[in-house]
Amino acid sequence: MVREGSSPGGSGPASPVIWALPAVVIAAGTAVAVALVSGPARTPVAWLGAGAFVAVALACGAAARRGRELARLRVTVAEQRTALARQEAETVRLADTLLPDVVRRLREGEFPEDVLASLEAHDAHGPGLTPEFRAAHLAVLRSVLDAVVAEEDLRESAQRAFVNIARRVQAIVHQQAQELRDMEDRHGQSPSVFGDLLRLDHGTALIGRLADSIAVLGGARPGRQWNRAVPLYSVLRGAMSRIIDYQRVELHSVSEVAVVGPAVEPLIHALAELLDNATRYSPPRTRVHLTAVDVNAGIAIEIEDGGVSMSEEARNRAERMLRQAQQGIDLNDLGETPRLGLAVVGRLSQAYDFQVSLRSSAYGGVRAVLVVPQDLITTTSAATGIAHGIGTSSGPRGALTPAAGDTGGATGGATTGVTGPSRPATGPSGPDAPAVTERTPSGLPQRRRKTRVTAPASAAAPAVPPAPDGAAGPAGASTTTRTAATEPEPAPHVQPGMWLAAFQSGLSGDSRTGADQNSDASPVPASKGEQP
Amino acid sequence: MSDPDHRHGEGYGWEDGSPERLYVITGGRSGSLESAPLDLVTLIVARSAPAPGMQPEHAAIMRMCQAPLSVAEISAYLSLPVSVVTVLVGDLLTDGDVLARAPVARAELPDLALIEAVIDGLQKL
Repeated sequence: MVREGSSPGGSGPASPVIWALPAVVIAAGTAVAVALVSGPARTPVAWLGAGAFVAVALACGAAARRGRELARLRVTVAEQRTALARQEAETVRLADTLLPDVVRRLREGEFPEDVLASLEAHDAHGPGLTPEFRAAHLAVLRSVLDAVVAEEDLRESAQRAFVNIARRVQAIVHQQAQELRDMEDRHGQSPSVFGDLLRLDHGTALIGRLADSIAVLGGARPGRQWNRAVPLYSVLRGAMSRIIDYQRVELHSVSEVAVVGPAVEPLIHALAELLDNATRYSPPRTRVHLTAVDVNAGIAIEIEDGGVSMSEEARNRAERMLRQAQQGIDLNDLGETPRLGLAVVGRLSQAYDFQVSLRSSAYGGVRAVLVVPQDLITTTSAATGIAHGIGTSSGPRGALTPAAGDTGGATGGATTGVTGPSRPATGPSGPDAPAVTERTPSGLPQRRRKTRVTAPASAAAPAVPPAPDGAAGPAGASTTTRTAATEPEPAPHVQPGMWLAAFQSGLSGDSRTGADQNSDASPVPASKGEQP
Repeated sequence: MSDPDHRHGEGYGWEDGSPERLYVITGGRSGSLESAPLDLVTLIVARSAPAPGMQPEHAAIMRMCQAPLSVAEISAYLSLPVSVVTVLVGDLLTDGDVLARAPVARAELPDLALIEAVIDGLQKL
């Protein structure tokens, strides 16, 4: 409005002058003509001139007025065109950026009110838009927002229902697994019952994995939580225990590390799904190889099967599925997903930074590699319980304290360090012992222990003088000094000889000290030895 | 000492214990067939130290059997059921890594005869 007033003002001084010009010309012409013509013609000429002047003046006035109006109209048209263009741009922005952005933010869990408020603030400095237009846009946004929110709510409640059910199944399965374990302990001596229990246990574990999958797809954690690090070996076997064809999985070298507690269950589950794929899509007679090696990024766990090779297209499809799952999966899409497992793996690897890749294997099958990042890996010493029962086994074997120290990381590599030195030492002592027992029954069948003790001593002097015999020789002389010497360091390989020597001393009369020292070193073998 | 610890671990297994099940340790075998010669009181002796690539349970048995141990004791130490231990020891036996010694029963047989003789003698009195 202001500008409409000002623009005629700008052209105002020129146009009246221009439009006055013809009238002035007519007036001047008339005056000249009146002056030039003769007397009688002067009056009519003057009249005509006056009439022409009036007519031209009127016409010019009308033209000037219309011209001004035209200019004003042009200005308004231009204004409106720019406004229209702005509105169009705004509409395009709404469709192209605002709506997707809003939907994305809602999906990410922002509150609809916040989203709307930020939009309004953003819109405020979009100039030249009528309030009605802005209100209409906001209305559109709001209705879309409502629709999205309603859909998200629906999805969320569906997922919650899924997860809820899965959790209940998990609880039942877990309880059942525990009871099965108790039963396995109780009926461990009758192999037929035990075999049945193992089968039941296996079936229960499969159900548990299914429940875990549902929970993961519902956006929740897989289930159990471990509050301490678990050795990788146990994790791998835990994954094996959850698939049908676990007997076909061959566990190869496993680097001796542990997985931090929070990542244990997801890793087990992801590996179980990958193993399940590997065993399911390879011929039943072939083996599936499972290895775990150190890489720069962490630990690479490889699952290699000898099954049908994956075509490039199938591989792409599988990897795409992994990626899709990483971006978040829609429960509605799952019906079309042929391999549920990959969706689960994708979900887990997204949540825990596992890197999963599928390649064709040198065996012709598929080679799945899952890289566990370094920050989810810890040393085995942090994991108290080594593989099943091994942790406890090292406990009572506190007998072999030095050995236990060596084999603290019992699972794999640490044993190599022990076997190196100790094997040659114990090698001869192994054959020695049985030879002794075979001699005994002929002589004194009842006193096996005693004969066996005496036998190495007798054999020690003439035949072989290796380390254990040297230990056994002074055994007769002074028990206390020898035990004191052997107790600190060379326990692993001297121990058998030690043990026998202690027996000898015990039998020869110095029972108290011998038994005590033995119980220091190896409590239960000693008591065991005395019983028979 | 660590036995009670372990028991607790098993009891509150929701967050503790071990993720692996027994059938994985035995490879699905229940110890019914080939392990006939083994008994609860059969003494097991390792012939050597555990080899590097061994299954941890095998390695543990090898290690603890440097001195002779009965199957029942191994089972108790590993806190694994006897059938599992039977399977594991059976594996080691077939590989020749351990030796099984006949249970003490044979050594007690003469005892029985002696006792009978004593009883007879007593009855004759």
